[in-house]
Amino acid sequence: MAIDRFLVPKASSWMANNGENADIAMSTRIRLARNLREFKFPYAFTEDEALKVDKAVSSVLVDKGKDLSLEFTHIDIHEISQLQRELLVEKHLISPHLAAGMHSGSVLLSKNEELSIMINEEDHLRIQSLQSGFHLQEAYQTADQLDSMLEQSLQYAFHEKFGYLTSCPTNTGTGMRASVMLHLPALTMSQQITRIIPAISRLGMVVRGIYGEGSEALGNVYQISNQLTLGKSEYEILQDLQNMTEQIIEQERRAREAILTNSPLKLEDRIYRSLGTLTYSRLLTTEEAAKCLSDVRLGIDLKLIENIDMSILNELMIFMQPAFLQLYSEKPLSANERDVTRAKLFRERLKQEYKINGDKEGEDSV
Amino acid sequence: MICSQCGERPASVLVKQKRNGQLIERHLCHVCAAENHSLNLAFEQDPLAIHQLLSNWFPTQSPSVNPFKKEVSVCPSCGFTFNDSLKLGKFGCATCYDAFESNLEEIFKRLHNGNTEHTGKIPASYGSTLKLKKEIEELRKQLKVSIEAEEFEEAVKLRDQVRELNKELERGATHGD
Repeated sequence: MAIDRFLVPKASSWMANNGENADIAMSTRIRLARNLREFKFPYAFTEDEALKVDKAVSSVLVDKGKDLSLEFTHIDIHEISQLQRELLVEKHLISPHLAAGMHSGSVLLSKNEELSIMINEEDHLRIQSLQSGFHLQEAYQTADQLDSMLEQSLQYAFHEKFGYLTSCPTNTGTGMRASVMLHLPALTMSQQITRIIPAISRLGMVVRGIYGEGSEALGNVYQISNQLTLGKSEYEILQDLQNMTEQIIEQERRAREAILTNSPLKLEDRIYRSLGTLTYSRLLTTEEAAKCLSDVRLGIDLKLIENIDMSILNELMIFMQPAFLQLYSEKPLSANERDVTRAKLFRERLKQEYKINGDKEGEDSV
Repeated sequence: MICSQCGERPASVLVKQKRNGQLIERHLCHVCAAENHSLNLAFEQDPLAIHQLLSNWFPTQSPSVNPFKKEVSVCPSCGFTFNDSLKLGKFGCATCYDAFESNLEEIFKRLHNGNTEHTGKIPASYGSTLKLKKEIEELRKQLKVSIEAEEFEEAVKLRDQVRELNKELERGATHGD
């Protein structure tokens, strides 16, 4: 089945690690919300309309995608299993909202998984462009290009005053949400993050922890995104987000230096303990794995750990989630069994990595 | 006043609906009015708290000085009332934006730091029309200035330009639809 290639636990290109600031900015995402003028929006449309929207958008994408040398795989959300939906969610290729499958809907994925177009999520179209590292302009250009191609064949709901019309008034205007995923261990350790978050929200942007509930960000991974979609052009929104993100990255670097200067041994100890946990443990909860992953990432950034490639950590962050663990062990798992399987996944993956890159520490007992 | 639908209970809600450009007003009791809201169901589990925010800003009771009569605007295309939209925090279709336009300024101001107008990308198909309209607007301003300055030759020229562009706009509009 065509979907299978997207579900193997192999890294998508946006999980790679490249470019300036890629040590702190893990990935970039642009989302454009669009609706078709002649159909009611997903909160009000009939199942019949949902099907028509799906057909109209899918056929344009599959036909015209070739003009942009894009080949899309069409996946009908009702034709795949619950597990397959969860895998796509864990890979950030679809949203939980689409996975719920309240009405006919689909996702179209480009071969390299950098483009995902959800049909009949909260809006008729959700164009999502993913890039590894910190690449707002590139990610926007990819989404914009596809959007311009689509509007030649589809009549978008557009208002002279309000811009692109969306189901939710928080998206009206550009319909654009741009976000950057940031790894901020030092700002979290020094608790500076608790001051930064409210300051940013006053500037039309928002920072929140991803993975995990409440204020605590699992694995010290945060997402910064624009809040405003009205009154500023796409260019201005991206520029503001670019500047703000660069400032946060700079702050994080300073905080790292401060910790490294003030308590180097404590930091080094923490990093190696975490590496030990990931390499040898037999039971690993999501929380512990995320915390240790964060420490090891930091260890690589600070050149303390040199025999592990950063992209492995990006992968493990995705593949340690419940649905991928189930795929890995080929059977449904209880919470306890997941911790066992998660530990096994880390042991095997890291052992492989030491073989490739050489292991200074010795890995006999793994 | 008695409800125009059931003819039994006293009317407490004024329903205004635009249909084919005609404004239809009906006085309904609260029971019949509730039945007329075709879309109250199914949306209870909204993940976002935005509808709560909106409801707090726009308490559903307060806009009417007289609590006896509540004005309800209904979208003629999808049947959402303005209150449906507020409760859900979502619009049902593109026409909602026109139907509820008078209320939207305030909502967008609060959600988008005081901004109410889109200044970003315009779809190519709308682009030419919008551009023409902006040009006409600009010429009209110049026209006004030249009349005030009593430069009538210039004014005639500008007037003709405006007429020409208006014709183009009409052609474009019929062509586009």
